Amino acid sequence: MMNQFMRQVAAIVWKDFTVELKTRELFVSMFIFAVLVILIFIFSVDLSIVKANEVGPGILWVAILFAGTIGLNRSFMLEKENQCIQGLMLAPIDRSVIYFGKMLSNLAFLLIMEAFLLPVFMIFFNIDLISHLFPLLFVILIGTIGFSALGTLLSSLSANLKTRDIMLPILLYPMMVPIAIGSVKMTSQVLAGEGLSSVMNWVGLTLCFDVIFIGVSIMTIDYILEE
Amino acid sequence: MVENPNPPAPDIAISVRDIKKNFGFIEAVRGVSFDLRKGEFLTLLGPNGAGKTTLLNMLSSLTRPTSGTATVAGYNVLDGNPALRKEIGVISHSSYLYADLSAFENMLFYAKIYGLENPKARAVEVVAEVGLKARLHDRVRTFSRGMLQRLSIARATIHNPSVLFLDEPYTGLDQHASSLFKDYLQSLHTQKRTLILTTHDIQRGFEMCDWVAILVRGRIVYMERAESIKRADLENIYIETVKKNMAPQ
Repeated sequence: MMNQFMRQVAAIVWKDFTVELKTRELFVSMFIFAVLVILIFIFSVDLSIVKANEVGPGILWVAILFAGTIGLNRSFMLEKENQCIQGLMLAPIDRSVIYFGKMLSNLAFLLIMEAFLLPVFMIFFNIDLISHLFPLLFVILIGTIGFSALGTLLSSLSANLKTRDIMLPILLYPMMVPIAIGSVKMTSQVLAGEGLSSVMNWVGLTLCFDVIFIGVSIMTIDYILEE
Repeated sequence: MVENPNPPAPDIAISVRDIKKNFGFIEAVRGVSFDLRKGEFLTLLGPNGAGKTTLLNMLSSLTRPTSGTATVAGYNVLDGNPALRKEIGVISHSSYLYADLSAFENMLFYAKIYGLENPKARAVEVVAEVGLKARLHDRVRTFSRGMLQRLSIARATIHNPSVLFLDEPYTGLDQHASSLFKDYLQSLHTQKRTLILTTHDIQRGFEMCDWVAILVRGRIVYMERAESIKRADLENIYIETVKKNMAPQ
């Protein structure tokens, strides 16, 4: 039963990756947008006055969240074209399979984009990420999981609205505040050379919200997709 | 789950009892009841907004009825049992196909989602069955409307369902594509599948069916065996029935 669930989730992830490999629409637009955000900030901040360690994490997360929203908007639009979402809903699968498939696709696309973005961030801000790599990757991973979990749910909700391009950020950003603050704080402290042990309260908070967002999504996705 | 006090007979594929659907104050379906035996073909006619698509959406468990019950292939649609969806296939005017994937990739995806054994072989097999093997690895975006509908048949039958719902499948097809589509439909009917077709094309809808029903304002106002209707009379029956039931009450 569990194997079948995982295979069906994997099928949705495989489908999203195959589409992306053919079109390259999502990755390219997300990456270019994120780089542009970092570029704009780098010209507005005088790094001889402020420390890169202090402003960098906020700018990095703004770039990730804004670029990620582009990806989320596209995620369910793919399912709306030719009403493919109906085809998925007609399949003998639990609706949570659709949610987890789309969420893992979004998460994977974001993580790949971040893997390309971090070297750009390192060069522009002249911050040594290598020496803090593992704690930094952990912090980025748990922040991105929360963003993908909530973003996937809300993009499925807003996909049916005429004003979806506006509604997704309006719904998403206020609810993302706890994870965004936690992620910025954790990244900041990790880049300042403090270990993960010093940010455990933020790690706990972020993980709590990850679990809450995933739990709420599983409970509500049935109704959201049906309506 | 409450047991149905009047369970359908074993040879009944679809049993609908006083099913209703409201969208806010709008009554889309206002108490529809009928039975369809296994292997029978029902053509559902009706003007725009009569509730045909809503009815099919309820029977295929896409939309939850406001009240009433319906059993399809032995499963109550209210239970939301995924096993019901193994028994049904839906062909609509939308293809439910990913435009940037090839025909093979689309079928492979659906074969995996339906948990079929040997999904690659099945994907190739169904594409060949609808005469598109030469276009197996072409992107669906490059397909004509007729080819898309044929591939929709492959998608809807990949898991070999016993019941098929066809929601205005002729929309946008030219004469040649319609004729080809009709042939595939005929072959599905001869395979003893139970079919419900909604269409505005009265003559085409009449060609293969066992039953004809007319839905007006969310109610079945006419249902007759096709063999008891003269082909030439059907258009008049339809127009008169719709006119009578659309008149202000």
